[in-house]
Amino acid sequence: MHGSMHGERLPSDEKPPMNIDAVSRTARRLQVLPVLLLAVFFAAPVASMVIRFVRFDSLVDTLTDSSVRGVWWFTFWQATASTAATLAVGIPLTWAVSRHSFFGSRFVTAVVTVPFFMPAVVIATGVKGILPGQPTLGILWAHVVFNVAVVVRVLGPRWSLMDPTMEDTAADLGARPTRVFTTVVFPYISTALRNATAIVFVFCFTSYGVIAILGGISRRTVESEVFIQAVRLGDMRTAISLSLIQAVVVFLVFLIGTRNGRADTTDETNNRGDGRVRNHDIAVMQRSITRRNRRRVTSAAFIPAAFVATPLVAVVIRSFVVEGAPSLDGYRWLFDGTTERVGVDSFRVVTISLVFAAACTMLTVVAATIIAFARNTTRTVSALTALPLVVSAVTLGLGIIVTFDSSPFDWRGHTWLIPVIHAVVALPLAVRTLDGAVDAIPDSVRMAAASLGAGPWRTWLRIELPLVRPALARAAGLSAAVSIGEFGATSFLSRSNSTTVPIAISQLMGHPGTVLPQAAFALAALCVLMFTLVFAATV
Amino acid sequence: MRFTRRLCTLAFIAAAALIAPACSQQQTSAPTEVVLVAYDAFTPQEGIFDAFTQETGVKVRIVTAGDTGTMVSKAILTAGNPEGDVMWGIDNTFLSRAENAGVLESYEPVDEGDICVNYDKNWFATRKITPPTTFEDLVKPDYAGLLVTQDPTASSPGLGFLLATIAHFGENDWQNFWEDLVDNGTKIVSDWTTAYTVEFSGSSGKGKYPLVVSYGSSPPAEVVYSATPVTEPPTAVVESTCFRQTEYVGVLRGTPNRDIARKLVDYLLDTPFQESMPLTLFVFPTDPKATLPKVFTDFAVRPDTPLVIEPDDIEKNRDAWLDAWRAIAL
Repeated sequence: MHGSMHGERLPSDEKPPMNIDAVSRTARRLQVLPVLLLAVFFAAPVASMVIRFVRFDSLVDTLTDSSVRGVWWFTFWQATASTAATLAVGIPLTWAVSRHSFFGSRFVTAVVTVPFFMPAVVIATGVKGILPGQPTLGILWAHVVFNVAVVVRVLGPRWSLMDPTMEDTAADLGARPTRVFTTVVFPYISTALRNATAIVFVFCFTSYGVIAILGGISRRTVESEVFIQAVRLGDMRTAISLSLIQAVVVFLVFLIGTRNGRADTTDETNNRGDGRVRNHDIAVMQRSITRRNRRRVTSAAFIPAAFVATPLVAVVIRSFVVEGAPSLDGYRWLFDGTTERVGVDSFRVVTISLVFAAACTMLTVVAATIIAFARNTTRTVSALTALPLVVSAVTLGLGIIVTFDSSPFDWRGHTWLIPVIHAVVALPLAVRTLDGAVDAIPDSVRMAAASLGAGPWRTWLRIELPLVRPALARAAGLSAAVSIGEFGATSFLSRSNSTTVPIAISQLMGHPGTVLPQAAFALAALCVLMFTLVFAATV
Repeated sequence: MRFTRRLCTLAFIAAAALIAPACSQQQTSAPTEVVLVAYDAFTPQEGIFDAFTQETGVKVRIVTAGDTGTMVSKAILTAGNPEGDVMWGIDNTFLSRAENAGVLESYEPVDEGDICVNYDKNWFATRKITPPTTFEDLVKPDYAGLLVTQDPTASSPGLGFLLATIAHFGENDWQNFWEDLVDNGTKIVSDWTTAYTVEFSGSSGKGKYPLVVSYGSSPPAEVVYSATPVTEPPTAVVESTCFRQTEYVGVLRGTPNRDIARKLVDYLLDTPFQESMPLTLFVFPTDPKATLPKVFTDFAVRPDTPLVIEPDDIEKNRDAWLDAWRAIAL
């Protein structure tokens, strides 16, 4: 491994015992709670589907079926290309917004986060309007639009902690920018980058809505095949077998992608050794832009942001145009009771989405904080939290119905299941957002606090928690976004008067006439505007 | 870590305890609520169940989840231990599958409609082209590149249109027709929303295709949900292409509230509810006594002799038909 590495964290599975204080010990014990959450609301439903439907011969049949081979090939191909494109757009953007403070950087971050909670139908419609008749390019673009937020949110916190003097020193010693990046910056961010890459790959691999709308009928992914087999053809054995194989493959890719997870986070660079820790040194190492690099920073920020925002802008513009003329009618129909005739009470829908988002965020952030501060030396828990990313929404959604079907656990149709399932889906992202930030807290900080007489809890509350506050805010924002945007698993849960925004949008879209699709665009545009403002103000 | 492993084991044991069947308690007291399971698009008129509650003292709770296919899949998984008491909206393409799985105790047709080719009246009028009137027209060069339809493996109107062609041309000839249809530039998309609201020229999306597979009740919906008050819909129906879709309502097998469930089914089949359906669900009532709203009698199409295939035949042949279709269309 990295022979040059030294400092407190060793690149092996064992850490010196001094790293584990009372806080970590308690957090490790409390980890039973998030693990239980995953076991009950994720592992149990999926396991019961697998036990019920997967047999050895159904797996063999699925693997040897030649018609599925093309589906696998296309899925792999588009996921790889989409991930590469997302990184190409996301890395410069992350560099710009996490390393620099400049006017508009919050706005840019907010804009690229918005698509994350948008229903696929909205983004896909925006993309389709701009790129008609280009299904493959359309899919790539839509995937970039959806996933740039992951790169910014997962890579950004880590990158923002890097001390700029490291780069300056290398540059002063004569290293060219590319060499500074490969030898100084890349090793520092590589774990976070790998995490981001792995998450984006998994999202693109298991993408369903975008593919269904933009891909037409000949471009199918494993995920859409699972849906068709299970729901349309009623062949649960094939569907769940396919879903299991997909989960195993994607999970392996994910584990390999994030292999050296903890071990290569090296933090000696933040340890000044002088015992004096200034908050801004560690929290965010941003610099304001100088005249010299202004053009570079702003173009690295605004060009990718424009690329992501274009389909959103198209949606907003579309919401103000009725039959070719500018009009506010879409918004009027949304709130004057017109949409209630088809069961969409806009105020209620928005309120419900916000309540679910709040509940999901609380659950997710607490769970992720416990896991991050446990400072696990093995990857068992971290790997467990990644599982919900790789299992198809169909399998999870149907599994919940067959699992919680008898008293006293007959929870089918219970409204609280929705935010809990959202939390399960959001947890992998929140954990990966917080992990890096907690890891980046130099041990010297805790040692300094301890030597001044502060107990571990006091240090945690007064020093460590404030240090990871930006990451906590990001994790919270991400969880809220996942909750508000989640469509797949939610659409399988039985709902009674608890329609969420994406489901309302897709319901309104599914009607003839001008009025209801127009109201759908107005609702989508309202979300775009509202969330751009909220994200810009808070995260 | 040993500890982590231990707590995982603990968690999984707890999970296993949850999967293990717990004894279900039979409800003995009179129910205060009856649960109607329906597809997402089931949006009855507000307050329509008030009379039922007044009469019986029982509230109606509507539980939805996904489209008809999703609803049926879930019902099959929970057959005998249902999520509710009554199920609304299994159609003739899914009926046999639900029946074979023992989902319903009893069922009756509750509404009907047709899946038909719709056309953009204005598009044909401005070009002085006569709209198509038959399936055979659709493969003529005059109508090349004008039709957009849906993938029958993923969309229920798409399946209806495929079944219509099978009913019309018969088991031997439908595949030839589809080869010609694909050669004639028919666009196939994944779902109704994309076809109708994006690709079709006659509705909100202002797309490029003036012919689309939709419903016989789409023209009145265009009038009801028009941006500006109109007296005529911008679209019309090619009547000879209509495939009859019947939806059923039934008591779910295993409900502890059979009596009240039965009462709810009767209520749904009764004239007041039947008369409320056209303008909320855009379907025709099955109750012959129900009167239709004017916009329906004027613009909705319900052919006297629609194309039909028996639910049993659909269930038996669906996989083979879809495979054959995929071989042609993909």
